[in-house]
Amino acid sequence: MDNFDKNVFVNCPFDDDYRQLLLSVIFTVKYLGYIPRLSLERADSGESRIEKILGLINESKFGIHDLSRIMSSDKDEHFRMNMPFELGIDYGAKALKGGEWATKQLLVLEKERYRYQKALSDLSGSDIKNHDDEPSKIVKVVRDWLVATENIRRDSGHKIWSRFNEFNAYLYDQAVEIDGHESVDELQVIEVVRHMEDWLMHKD
Amino acid sequence: MTKNSQHVFSNSKGGWDVRKSGSERASKHFDTQREAIQWAKIVAKNQKAELYVHGKDGKIREKNSYASHPRPLKD
Repeated sequence: MDNFDKNVFVNCPFDDDYRQLLLSVIFTVKYLGYIPRLSLERADSGESRIEKILGLINESKFGIHDLSRIMSSDKDEHFRMNMPFELGIDYGAKALKGGEWATKQLLVLEKERYRYQKALSDLSGSDIKNHDDEPSKIVKVVRDWLVATENIRRDSGHKIWSRFNEFNAYLYDQAVEIDGHESVDELQVIEVVRHMEDWLMHKD
Repeated sequence: MTKNSQHVFSNSKGGWDVRKSGSERASKHFDTQREAIQWAKIVAKNQKAELYVHGKDGKIREKNSYASHPRPLKD
């Protein structure tokens, strides 16, 4: 399977208030030389959403699952079950499918420490990291997890965070000053990912 | 990709750093963003550089150019 050992399934929200956290995760994964895989990338195909998700999980050794938005914030809002559902599929693939899928590595993210235990107590004892909704923290958490899991040497979380800030300056110049967007938030995530690729290719 | 620019951005351990683009280390660290911006403006003017002020999330909050031929800025 192509790039199985480099693919990272990113099971994170696409909400506006999570966008900068999502971009921080994607940037960190790419910076470390891995390939973030998102359901957005297959938006044009005729597949159902669950088929897309299954494909990504099947093709990825790594999975990053953020459960920080599973709680409803308004009283009329439902609980959001997609992310824990997809975490369950990924976990099931690792535990039951055998072969290279047994080597899968999963990172579970939450906003606050121990909050998940109230909603998903089956995860007790698993390695769950909190990010406090701070992009600088999520960069370090993702970097530390991938580096420890792979036993590799890479730049520090602080350095990657600095680079992410530089990338944001580049993105502002490209999107707002050159391409005429009102704000970088007008860009689709996939467009930002393309800018990341350009920036990372020429950063030195 | 590296150009003559200064950045004010949050330090992951707290406070605010001023750093030249592409540099390995911050030139100075401050407790508040206001102090960091004041210092960064002086450095950017001296170096005829562009100054990017980042929010805590990394996004650009403000940009000023002190280059010799500044491009028109957009809010």
